[in-house]
Amino acid sequence: MSFEIIASSFQHKDIEQSQLRRTLKCGAIGGGTVVALCVFGLINQFMERWIIENLLSLAHAAFIGITLTVGALIAIRSPKLSPAARIFQGFLVGMVSGVFLSILILIMATFDIRNMFVSLSPKLLMFLSYGFDPYTACAVTIIVGGVLGLIGAAIRESPPWLRKPLITGLATAFFIGLFAELLQLAMQYETVDPIRDYMFTWEGQTLTGAITMFVLGFVLSLFWVMRGKQVMANHRAKSHASQRSIRYFLYAIAIVLFLLFPMAAGSFFGQVLMLVGLYVLMGMGLNLEVGLAGLLDLGFVAFFATGAYTIALFTADNEHLILLIDRPLTWWEALPLAMFASLMMGLAFGIPVLKVRGDYLAVATMGLGEIIRVVVLSDMASPLLGGSQGLLHIPRPWIGDFELNDPIHLFYLTLISSIIAAYFAWALENSRLGRAWMAIREDEDVGQALGINLVNVKLLAYGLGAWFAGLAGAIFAVMLGSIFPHSFQLLISINILALIIVGGIGSLPGVVVGALMLIGTPELLREFGEYRFLAYGFVLIVMMRVKPLGLWPSAVRKRELAAAAEAEAQMRATSGQKA
Amino acid sequence: MKPSFLLKSLAAASIVAVGALASSAAWAVKVGPVEDPIRVVKIPKGAPIVIATYHVISGADTALGLDTQRGAVVAADDLGNTLVGHPIKFMHEDDGCNAEGGQTAATKIAANQQVVAALGGACSSATRPAAPILWKAGIPDVATAASSPVLTAPDRGPSYDGLVRIVYNDLWAGREVANWAYKVRGYKKAATIHDGSPYAEKLVRVFQENFKKLGGEVVSDEAVAPNDTDMRPVLTKIATAKPDFIYAPTFVGVTSYLIRQKKEIPGLEKVALVGSDASMGAQLMEASGKDLLGFEISTTAMEPEAQGPGYKAMREKYKKLFGEYPIQGFHGNGYDAMMLVANAIKKVAVTEKDGTTYIPIKALRDAMFATKNMQGVTGKITCDQYGDCGVYNFAIYQYTNPDPKTLEPGKNPKRIYPEKF
Amino acid sequence: MNLERLKQVTYVDVTLWLMRAIIILLVIAGTIGTVIKDRYTTEQWVSMVMFGLTIGGIYALIALGYTMVYGILRLINFAHGDIFMTGAFTAYFVAAPLAKSGFLDEYLIVGMIIISLVAMTVCSCIALIVERICYRPFRSVRSLAPLICAIGASFFLQHAFRGMYGSSVRAYPDVKFFDTVVSIMGFNFPRIQFVVVIAALAAMYTLYLIVNKTKMGTAMRAVSEDRDAAALMGIDVNKVIIFTFILGGSMAGIGGVLYAFVFKQVYFFMGFFPGIKAFSAAVLGGIGNVPGAMLGGFFLGVVESLGPALFLDGLGIVAPYQLRDLIAFTMLVMVLIFRPQGILGERLARQRA
Repeated sequence: MSFEIIASSFQHKDIEQSQLRRTLKCGAIGGGTVVALCVFGLINQFMERWIIENLLSLAHAAFIGITLTVGALIAIRSPKLSPAARIFQGFLVGMVSGVFLSILILIMATFDIRNMFVSLSPKLLMFLSYGFDPYTACAVTIIVGGVLGLIGAAIRESPPWLRKPLITGLATAFFIGLFAELLQLAMQYETVDPIRDYMFTWEGQTLTGAITMFVLGFVLSLFWVMRGKQVMANHRAKSHASQRSIRYFLYAIAIVLFLLFPMAAGSFFGQVLMLVGLYVLMGMGLNLEVGLAGLLDLGFVAFFATGAYTIALFTADNEHLILLIDRPLTWWEALPLAMFASLMMGLAFGIPVLKVRGDYLAVATMGLGEIIRVVVLSDMASPLLGGSQGLLHIPRPWIGDFELNDPIHLFYLTLISSIIAAYFAWALENSRLGRAWMAIREDEDVGQALGINLVNVKLLAYGLGAWFAGLAGAIFAVMLGSIFPHSFQLLISINILALIIVGGIGSLPGVVVGALMLIGTPELLREFGEYRFLAYGFVLIVMMRVKPLGLWPSAVRKRELAAAAEAEAQMRATSGQKA
Repeated sequence: MKPSFLLKSLAAASIVAVGALASSAAWAVKVGPVEDPIRVVKIPKGAPIVIATYHVISGADTALGLDTQRGAVVAADDLGNTLVGHPIKFMHEDDGCNAEGGQTAATKIAANQQVVAALGGACSSATRPAAPILWKAGIPDVATAASSPVLTAPDRGPSYDGLVRIVYNDLWAGREVANWAYKVRGYKKAATIHDGSPYAEKLVRVFQENFKKLGGEVVSDEAVAPNDTDMRPVLTKIATAKPDFIYAPTFVGVTSYLIRQKKEIPGLEKVALVGSDASMGAQLMEASGKDLLGFEISTTAMEPEAQGPGYKAMREKYKKLFGEYPIQGFHGNGYDAMMLVANAIKKVAVTEKDGTTYIPIKALRDAMFATKNMQGVTGKITCDQYGDCGVYNFAIYQYTNPDPKTLEPGKNPKRIYPEKF
Repeated sequence: MNLERLKQVTYVDVTLWLMRAIIILLVIAGTIGTVIKDRYTTEQWVSMVMFGLTIGGIYALIALGYTMVYGILRLINFAHGDIFMTGAFTAYFVAAPLAKSGFLDEYLIVGMIIISLVAMTVCSCIALIVERICYRPFRSVRSLAPLICAIGASFFLQHAFRGMYGSSVRAYPDVKFFDTVVSIMGFNFPRIQFVVVIAALAAMYTLYLIVNKTKMGTAMRAVSEDRDAAALMGIDVNKVIIFTFILGGSMAGIGGVLYAFVFKQVYFFMGFFPGIKAFSAAVLGGIGNVPGAMLGGFFLGVVESLGPALFLDGLGIVAPYQLRDLIAFTMLVMVLIFRPQGILGERLARQRA
């Protein structure tokens, strides 16, 4: 994998750096991050959020976490030094980070730069300087930074039986605190009331709760460190068949838990998981186009919109209703129509761009997607499609006498649709058609020479991909009960593309993982408003840097890229060029 | 294919189970000393009283939602951050100004049974799916800046029973503008521009209908995309129709481009441009520069004589809390929404000797709907049976100074109609 | 087999030809309709073309950044629109005090140069950071990872700058000189439009000279031709790539300042749509091709400005200006149907795919 080669070349360079430079660099990373958090205004938000009620805010936690991390980082990066020297390095690095923050404090205290940097408010200055005067505050910041860096390095240097439980314990307490509100939403039962009251208030985690969580994490992790090897060894000692049955048993439990989770945790989680489900559906569709057939598509939202609008036009009782029979269709009757309409839309997209390749294709499809959005929103089409006022009164689906009107019901509907769709996607991937797609992805000309009908195969990729999005759109329409053109932005196409690549392109489980990661997590962080997207962008970058193949890459892809990287490395070794 | 079959049957079984659960669930109607057909929120001594808000606080329309949300925070501050002996805690959610955002935010709010009432949203498209979800969970909602008529229409249906709306509706605003333009100003030929937002489009449509009814002529009916920056071509087209005035109830971005570029178009130099409160505020002044002079907006009256004495003090407190003067035109609605809920809670809450408070929700909802002559910062508020609590004090304002620091409704922009209340 | 393929190709071809014919017919019908209606005066037509050239010049400057990076790396720099924003947004904090002190009106050229330099520096630095984080690690891997990484960078830049400089709109100062009207051949235009078109052309000409006449430019062309061969010939590919990003960033910086002086306001989201348009312009001209990007930019600008009035108005479509993006993107798709490799693009399209 070429990324690792590059990464290792950096590490190689790193060792040759002087110790001073390395210290300064690590310190700058830590200090820079902290200052950036302040300047971008994140700290202003984090201040308001308790991890441990009235004791430790998220802002504190961020500062502490970052300094600990850079302390540990320098310890990792200085393998030649003695342990004591490494811990001292941690102290120095922490101080360097502190210096960065001190400079910010001094600047804020001396100059009024709020006109330019709106987030550097007096409140932030108060928070950073703890009510001390600026110079004392700087001294305190640098010393505290040094101590934290030292602790970070010390944790890193401590033996594994201490280090791992410590980190696990801290992380447990932190994440429980971070998601305190959500966890409470999931604990709305009288039976667990005492636990909830013990752990949380509506402001955040209680101190006792945090300590309990820390101890819990610590003990469990300690147990695993002490006994984990033996447990695994015991497991491996068992026969192959019993190993497998244990594995299936665990899978089964996981699946059942997952199925029951939204019911137990309440509508909000149902709603979030349902959104995830919709994106999974669309992701699987786009995966056929991009992952298998190699057709980059940035206009995918148009198919989603087609599905949603078809449902609305045929089922919703308003002045835009299209009557096929003497009454509006039910959702179930309109569903095939919606999927068919999307499929046709996919073909309509596919035909003009058949000869367009690569990145040109991305732009062409983006253009087509935007055309659809603009038309739907326009006054020109509003007599038919409702324009910006949207289409209202879309009825929910019924099963017999039972109306699917709760997010949880719709979640299960989405889930079942996803499973059916996943089966189709899986079957397609392993069919003759799937192999044809992969062949043209690799080389269109060769594929054609092998007797693949390029036109049909490409159009099928667009059509079938759109079919999945149409299904998602149909569910989306009933989820909302009313649809507006503003819901179908380019951003959605970008999101879907991002999630299949973060998940691992061409991989079905990857789609699920990617959707959970990129759609689920931001929904859980809703209260951070605008900063959700900052975090989203950051996560995209980090994911691609750390796992360029995605979180769950498909096996084929992995092999191919490994081979390519090997060839590359060989070439580099022979040419001796740094490219 | 065995596993997937298994999954399918499992999922099917779960659906049935959910159905059984859902149908058997029923709320306890009597808690402590209070009885209520919907639900009762119990707040132990010292625990906060939770008010949820959902507004757009991300993306291009951030200012709209943030301004409204801040209005509610100022109101809580004016109440000393306590209500019936409990601290007020806000749960701010983001609705992204779109339907799915509104639904997700509402679902999250609805999942929290401590929430007493919700404020929001600022966009009709978000409020439409959100209000029924909230009401199903027994949470009454005050729409702060969602002005779509359907939200308080007589046929809105029982799922909207929990919704009151603190802002005027578009039907009224569009009609008033048409009346003013035709009767007071004597304009006979109007041009309209909207930016594809449900708000601006609805206003424009209602205006056109009424203007034509009065005998006026709509000579040009135009629209732009919200992200357009170049208004010259569309203005050129309008110039060819020679209107007496241009009605553009668009949001800040489009409005400021219109203001700046209008002067470059031959034939439009003398034509009046009238906006709405969607673009009201310091943002527009900053963005439009000196070309702002003479720009007019139609809105509900927003100065001490019309709104009561509270507004100025509120503005100062806003500045104190957030470091800047109000960034949009709907902070007053946020403020009044919070006050309306607070007054209703005061009326219905029952506090026991041990400090525990009980709030019956049906009674709370009824109290909200029964609001009469409440003196808010946007004016005197009275709700009708469909939850329309908007203040209907039509006024036209004109900017007299482009410097954002001089913003003071009443002086700049100055009221030019009506002359007296 | 062959026969069957012929048959298949025909139905697609028929559809394509039908599409082309319909669109061309619509365009002709619309134009005739407009001419018959005779709603606009010649002066208005000329000024619409001029608006188009103004915005087109800015598109072209941004498009150059896309196209040069593509030429060298065969990758789309999705964050380029936001790089454009960073420069214009930051330069505001220089432009506002300069204007307030009267310096800008007094020494306009020096002032503009200072403002542009700030914007160019910021854009180049951000472009380099994006390159370092999102492109260098993936240089030799054929995957979509850098595209996603750049999309991430785009989100990050937008919201980091929003957090930093605030979500409100900042208004660029009014400059007396730019606001006056100049008249040429009896037509009146705001002077700023001329300034923008001339400045954009000058910047592009400079770029053209750099690419074609300097040693670095030659190296750039060599790398875009064949990176491995160039490396073997002793060209420091790393340096060339860095240079390319600096050039692209500088062009975006100039574009940003011009944009800000035309439209007078900057805010964090301002880069997204011009970015997409410029990206389309680059593709329209043939991505990887420098003159193509310039041509594509101006073409797109003029079509956008004229299109609604010329084609749609005549067809009697309500609110045609709302459909400006429709025209722009339809034109894009049409060009790609006729010439899948863009107007001036030739070999690159095949090589990449």
